[in-house]
Amino acid sequence: MQVEHPKPRWADRFLLLDLFEGLKTTVRELFQPKVTVRYPEERLEPADRFRGMFRFSYDRCIACKLCAQACPIDIIYIDVHDEQREVDGKMKKLKVLDRYDIDVKRCMFCALCEEACPTKPKSIWLTSKTYELASYDRNDLYFNMQELEYWDDRPKYTGLPDEDAPAEIEGQKQIAGGHE
Amino acid sequence: MITQAALMKYLVWPLVKFLVAFLIVQVIVAAMNWVERRLLGLIQARLGPNRVGWHGLLQIVADPIKFLLKEDIVPSSSEKIAYFLGPMLPLIPAFIVFCLIPFGPGPMFLSARVNVALLLILALTSTGVYGIILGGWASNNKYSLMGGLRSAAQMVSYEVPFGLSIVGVLMICGSLDLVNIVNYQANNAWNLLPQIVAAFIFFVSMNAENNRTPFDLPEAESELVAGYHTEYSAMKFAFFMLAEYSSMLVNSCLMTILFLGGWTIAYDGHGLTTAKLISMGTFGALLGFAIFFAKVMFFMLVYIWFRATFPRFRFDQLMDLGWKWMIPLALGNIVVTGIFILIGQERLMYWIGLATIGAIFFYLSRKPAPSPTKTAHAHKVVHAS
Amino acid sequence: MFDVHEMEINFGPQHPSTHGVLRVLLTVDGERIINAKPVIGYLHRGTEKLFEHMAYPQCIPHTDRMDYVASATNNLGFVETVEKLMGITAQIPKRAQLLRVILSELQRISSHLLWLATHAIDIGAMTPFFYCFREREQILDLFETYCGARLTLNCMRIGGMPEDAPAGWLDDIEEFIGKFDAAVDEYESLLTNNRIWKRRTIGIGVISPEEAIEWGVTGPPLRGSGVNWDIRKALPYECYAELDFEVPLGINGDTYDRYLCRMAEMRQSRRIIEQCIPLIKATPAGDIKAKISRVVRPPEGEVYHSIESPKGELGYYIIADGKSQNAYRCHVRPPSFVNLQALPAMAKGHLVSDLVALIGTIDIVLGEVDR
Repeated sequence: MQVEHPKPRWADRFLLLDLFEGLKTTVRELFQPKVTVRYPEERLEPADRFRGMFRFSYDRCIACKLCAQACPIDIIYIDVHDEQREVDGKMKKLKVLDRYDIDVKRCMFCALCEEACPTKPKSIWLTSKTYELASYDRNDLYFNMQELEYWDDRPKYTGLPDEDAPAEIEGQKQIAGGHE
Repeated sequence: MITQAALMKYLVWPLVKFLVAFLIVQVIVAAMNWVERRLLGLIQARLGPNRVGWHGLLQIVADPIKFLLKEDIVPSSSEKIAYFLGPMLPLIPAFIVFCLIPFGPGPMFLSARVNVALLLILALTSTGVYGIILGGWASNNKYSLMGGLRSAAQMVSYEVPFGLSIVGVLMICGSLDLVNIVNYQANNAWNLLPQIVAAFIFFVSMNAENNRTPFDLPEAESELVAGYHTEYSAMKFAFFMLAEYSSMLVNSCLMTILFLGGWTIAYDGHGLTTAKLISMGTFGALLGFAIFFAKVMFFMLVYIWFRATFPRFRFDQLMDLGWKWMIPLALGNIVVTGIFILIGQERLMYWIGLATIGAIFFYLSRKPAPSPTKTAHAHKVVHAS
Repeated sequence: MFDVHEMEINFGPQHPSTHGVLRVLLTVDGERIINAKPVIGYLHRGTEKLFEHMAYPQCIPHTDRMDYVASATNNLGFVETVEKLMGITAQIPKRAQLLRVILSELQRISSHLLWLATHAIDIGAMTPFFYCFREREQILDLFETYCGARLTLNCMRIGGMPEDAPAGWLDDIEEFIGKFDAAVDEYESLLTNNRIWKRRTIGIGVISPEEAIEWGVTGPPLRGSGVNWDIRKALPYECYAELDFEVPLGINGDTYDRYLCRMAEMRQSRRIIEQCIPLIKATPAGDIKAKISRVVRPPEGEVYHSIESPKGELGYYIIADGKSQNAYRCHVRPPSFVNLQALPAMAKGHLVSDLVALIGTIDIVLGEVDR
């Protein structure tokens, strides 16, 4: 299909109609509603499948290390050891998770770890709809096991009052996922 | 003998009027910064500055504070005297001209009534080029120099059509005095109609004089040459910007006075002529000023509208346009106007202008032709088999 | 007798309009360009070397980051190449193919919108930038609803797709493409007939068809010169062979023709998506992945496969040694890299102000050029 060049009429050339059409478009846009979302007072809610910050569940994790294998940049550090534990009256050899750290500052949120996780429901998932991970300290972005499970999901730096912060969990240290 | 009355009449009173006008102009120029950014944003499907103060109005205060407190970097190898003089030179003519422009009906709105006011204004605004050349050269930066020279060449080239387009108006009105031109328009009709080509040339030359899109190559960031004000920071840069906006305001005022009837809304002597406005006392004076202000603001908004809509010309195309199209067109306009005046058919020019404007609106109201990138089968859908 | 003053100017890596970190060494005579030599490598991240150390499924997020503007097509190219190597191209379910086509065409529209935005603002028209980004935001929202990310999608897997379309996604797409034609009309009203735009783009950067083929230029720069080569038509992949669309061709091979070609391509992509939606509704839900093992171990061999990305022909060349989960060598043929070679030929004789128009019209993304 050959694209044709537009053929201007006599009127277009002399009355500068092409320029006026452009002016007409801009003035029409002036009166359209604007799509700007005024962050941080208004926020866009990400989609359900949005790949944001991790959440981890120690109880569901079976320490299979498939997520660490699947990660393209090897930022999941897992240490396990075997233990003999009493399960239903019999001594069974179980894997116990010692260390489950994620270096979030190098993460690209590709969700390959979530895909690789074999448990149902998944033990690591990214659909927490949190993208505000900015931090003033580089070390804040290295999350160990407890932090991954219990991080506070509202960043502290906006200066807005924290009405929807989750309640304090008894006995667990609340570690913020952002600036303290 | 210098009497007290003469002193009052010729020195003190004009100075006071000029200072009042100057202050109002400075406020408008500062507000223009906000208007431009806000309007540009709203045209571009976004909000402009709207956080600092109510709808962003405190931005007008925040920007000068920023400029005053910023570090004033002076390149060590620049030519100091010229470097400091550079930003001030465009400001001087931009400010002086405001004592020659009448803002409303009556002697209270005009600091100095000169019977060759138009010529004087043209001469004064032309001297604004010096500051740019000096600023570009004194920066000791070959790109600034190139930018400055280009800008100067652009401004000087468009002075010619700027002046020639006014000749048509002069031929019709018969006077260089701005107040007389406005009164002539009140007695006939706006000069836009008989001199529509001249108005167009004048407007285009105005844009080129002020380095505004589509002629803003010297200021464009995305081109290689950075422009004459690269090496200036803080207040000196602000001076260049101030000079640009003041110059825009002066040109808008000129355009209203020459082509749109200034502070009058009248046809053939009926309506709000100068005499009628003066007879209405204070209210009439304020009304006249309000009308003038509205028209000037309209042109300032059109400046912004143009900036939002059009791409910019390349430099050689810009010079091409000025020398090969604007000047012959302006000369042709003078000849045609002369012919019409000679055969005594001045009124016919008004009808031709009206017909042109009518034709433009007529064509604009129709739907534009479909774009060449659409195909005839654009909407055929293949159904699932 | 006459001494020519040639000046070497650096159109540096830091510049608002080089679309990334591209350095062009210009030899100018006054304002005329005598030679323009692109210097690249400022964004080299060793992607191809990284591919040798990662399993095939792990490579897919890295392909996103080469042409970061059009990541779905990057994913598609890689995934199809591996499938071709494994010989399972025929086993990809129809629904997965249609999803891939919809994502690729949405990505093509998104990439062309970004191209138009940056090209227009380089030439001085600042408003199309914001209008294009407004439409692009809607497309990115569609991507987010499908795969969770807006820019670096990671939305395809070897053998199919990672997940099925969420409920309501197809209706959202239909709503978007219903309004899209009017949006393209709006951009065109500002640019296509505009005499200033035409002056800046007609006659700039002319490549003849023979020259284009010699330089290896592909994509809209090639089709703008009139050569009818679109891989979607010439060597169809996925289900393009069944879809009805046209390939726009230019006449003179200048910037204006390339602009018209890309605008027409946006409309044709909309048409493709419009056709795909009823087709995808007719396929069984959930059938989105071929039956292959989770561990991807292609047999020994080498393959080259290319697809039509928004910038041109994107090719992947993979050598597999049959034993390991990594590629032995994976080389990417980026369209922007090859198209950039034509820049000196196009820039010769033009003014420096035209250089920004030329860089914009080739539509380069430095992530792809440097990898």
